[in-house]
Amino acid sequence: MLLQVNYKSGKPVYLQVVDQIKAAAAAGTLQSGESLPSIRPLAEELRVNRNTIAKAYTELESQGVIETIPGKGCFVRPNNSPLKKDVRRKLLMEELDQVIVQAHHLQVPAGEFLELVRERLGVMEEKQRANQAKEFGA
Amino acid sequence: MINRTSDSKTSAVIPAAPPETAAVIEVKGLKYTYGRAEAVHDLNLTVKPGRCYGLFGRNGAGKTTTMKCLLNLLRPQGGSVRLFGLDPSRHEVEVKRRIGYVPDYVAFYPWMTVRETLDYLASFRSHWNTETERDLLNRFRLAPDQRTGGLSKGQRTQVALVAAICPEPELLLLDEPTSGLDPIVRREFIETVIGAYQEGDPGKRTILVSTHLITEFEGLIDEFTIVDKGHDVLSLHADAARDRYQKIRARFAHEPPAVEFTGALHVRRQGRELELIANGEGPQIMEVLSRLAPESLTSEGLTLEEVFVATLK
Repeated sequence: MLLQVNYKSGKPVYLQVVDQIKAAAAAGTLQSGESLPSIRPLAEELRVNRNTIAKAYTELESQGVIETIPGKGCFVRPNNSPLKKDVRRKLLMEELDQVIVQAHHLQVPAGEFLELVRERLGVMEEKQRANQAKEFGA
Repeated sequence: MINRTSDSKTSAVIPAAPPETAAVIEVKGLKYTYGRAEAVHDLNLTVKPGRCYGLFGRNGAGKTTTMKCLLNLLRPQGGSVRLFGLDPSRHEVEVKRRIGYVPDYVAFYPWMTVRETLDYLASFRSHWNTETERDLLNRFRLAPDQRTGGLSKGQRTQVALVAAICPEPELLLLDEPTSGLDPIVRREFIETVIGAYQEGDPGKRTILVSTHLITEFEGLIDEFTIVDKGHDVLSLHADAARDRYQKIRARFAHEPPAVEFTGALHVRRQGRELELIANGEGPQIMEVLSRLAPESLTSEGLTLEEVFVATLK
């Protein structure tokens, strides 16, 4: 799995790593049980401070996306979040509010915005189907 | 030259180790003048343990002078310098034991081989990780029996880096370490710092890199200080800087109205287009611009190098 760091995005580097790994896990590009590179080689490859990667992995672990097995490495956890349903909803709501503010600044009206959401959900479903097919086809 | 540490009582008493969160480097009001040229005046710098700290500045801004004061190669003429809570001019050995240093101009005895050079440098150290040395020599493909006089600049820098990392020092001081090196060697340098040096206990691995080649070190830097004309102009965490500074571009159907933007640097207007750099007021400026009904409105963050240029231009 190839990660990219964008220093112009205004987003902290560790968050970019967290988000990309979460996206890959959600789409099935990274499958549950699959191993992640360990901290040192990933930091070297991206030429990023080792503590930044360590912070990203700690965050991913606290969100239940990955787990560390001592002596073996880091693995993607199967998709069962340790958080309760209403907590998860609230977290998503906060993210949605931010996106709604962005849409306002970018002058995307509500109707178009919802269309866009449907479209992107479709894209994600496609990816998941494609990755599942690969998993069973292989 | 008067040896100020000749008082045996002072040099024998080493103060108790400072607590864990105390700064590794603390520079306050540093002042140094070469003849009539004031190189550094009122420079402040704090580096905490475990951080990778960037000292950025144009050529002649005072970075190397500051480094030399940290290493007791120059005595401050005003202000104070403390490493690990100690004054490097009064506790030189104690301080230097805990530092690894890669200078901008790497000079070895040219008749010595790589092996002899490393053995010579290791003899000054109480600790030397021979496994790391072996790994790094392999990685850099350095022949131990080659004379250092016959090495390229990049190879000499690599030897210097090996010598700085193998003692596993608590503080790594890098002074323009990659200038004059080709891009591949520069990348390997950074990767080696991340891989071989940062491997140890994070609280005992601190880096100060002084450079004007900021792009290379972008990923490594946690915090930085921009130095200009001898004193500190801006000190920020890297993430905070990338969030605070934004390049905003707008295009309008007609000539954009002349609006005053507070907290905007480098406002440029050309025809129907407007570009500015927001310093902390990004969202507010976006709000103001979006109310003027632009055809397009975009914002993107700045790299540390762009922040550097925006601050100093």
